[in-house]
Amino acid sequence: MNMKPIESEYNKKVHFAGRLTAVLVILMLIAVPAVICLHYNIFPTMSGFLKGLAMVWMIYLPICIAEVLTYTPMVGISGAYLSFISGNLSNMKIPCAAMAMDNAGVKGSTDEGEVIATLSIATSTIVTEIIIAIGVIALVPLTPVLTSKTLEPAFQNILPALFGALGVYWIMRQWKLAVTPLAFVILVSILVPMLTGKSIPAGLLIPVSGLLAVLAARFMYNKGWVVNAGNE
Amino acid sequence: MDYLNIANSNLMFGMVAVVITVVFIQSVVFFIIAWKRGLALGMTKRKMLDAVRSSAIFSVVPSLPILLALVAMVPVLGIPFPWLRLGVIGSAPYELLAANIGAQSMGVQGLGQSGYTAQVFINSMWIMSLGILWSPVIFLLFAKRLQTGMANMKKNDSKWLEILIASLFFGMISVFIGQPVVNGGIQLATILTSAAIMFTLTAAVKKFEISWLANFSLSISMIASMALAIYYSRIM
Repeated sequence: MNMKPIESEYNKKVHFAGRLTAVLVILMLIAVPAVICLHYNIFPTMSGFLKGLAMVWMIYLPICIAEVLTYTPMVGISGAYLSFISGNLSNMKIPCAAMAMDNAGVKGSTDEGEVIATLSIATSTIVTEIIIAIGVIALVPLTPVLTSKTLEPAFQNILPALFGALGVYWIMRQWKLAVTPLAFVILVSILVPMLTGKSIPAGLLIPVSGLLAVLAARFMYNKGWVVNAGNE
Repeated sequence: MDYLNIANSNLMFGMVAVVITVVFIQSVVFFIIAWKRGLALGMTKRKMLDAVRSSAIFSVVPSLPILLALVAMVPVLGIPFPWLRLGVIGSAPYELLAANIGAQSMGVQGLGQSGYTAQVFINSMWIMSLGILWSPVIFLLFAKRLQTGMANMKKNDSKWLEILIASLFFGMISVFIGQPVVNGGIQLATILTSAAIMFTLTAAVKKFEISWLANFSLSISMIASMALAIYYSRIM
């Protein structure tokens, strides 16, 4: 296998800045509870800590692995350094970057696409952090507005409002790629609650749906039914 | 000591402010790197500014549910820690799940329930902090390998790489389209409304060549269909 690294000034800069900031944030995230423990001299019981960690890791380790594999190609390497730190990928960073790239007429796998995706994700992160900071400062006056009964249906339906628009836009571009994952999700969303009484969390469904979409696309690509990603 | 005194302490506020500042700086640094890279590649400032502007406007509305989660978390976890958690990796459902597991594994029923002492709060903090660290850690470990993999794929068959990326994207959006469609009711009405508005706007952009509208059509469709969701909730 050809493992020659892609060396360029830009690429080195991205990995250096990415590694430095990501490692820094990861260490600080661990430091916050650690400092509180030491300062107040209060520690959780070893069994409570390990039991809790085991439960969360059992659920989230597989989800995290799948997320890295599914989302990295969509946001690009430098976009990934940002989004795996700041989170909110499926509901914000990815739709944001996808639309920005499409409007700019660039593809995710190109150098130009990586520039637009990174600008888009960095901007999105900055805006979100500013809004959360405003929320923290103005928590008291904002609470009645955010929790008002009038606005409740709007907030409850934010994901359908986002993905209806996003869906129609992209399905118009290349509906063939959407058929398999969409049929799968609809089928599973009907059958699983019927059989088990429980619905499947989106985090578990996304990697499976993504994998099926890729397999179906490969099949159609080999057959010549799909020749491009859908951009004219 | 009441755990909320720890949760709202100056020490906690100070540490959280530092972490959020670093996350902020990270974005600024990457913005500058990408901007310079774009200029070096011969991209126009106009094109890059358009992306920045539409991304900034789009990001406002999806940020509002984060504030809603903040409002929900503050009474039980204090102000600074929810601020930190919602400002970095993870999402509101994850944080609540992890915080609850942190409480239950210490033998307490749940967040803020009787017996939710400082010790239990600190366990919740640990579980929330460590539970989802895997995404950035795994990415850090495999970033170069993923990059090489994608570069090789591009060299062998760049069309297929484009299709692969598009397929992953379709896989993701299918989950968020399929579920509300099956759930029906207001969710279905909202998703159809949003789709109809976007369809109309996209057609208008093409027909009348209003290219600036393309940058905002997603935000417009989203806000308009959210407003209509309020109306649907009254008549349905």
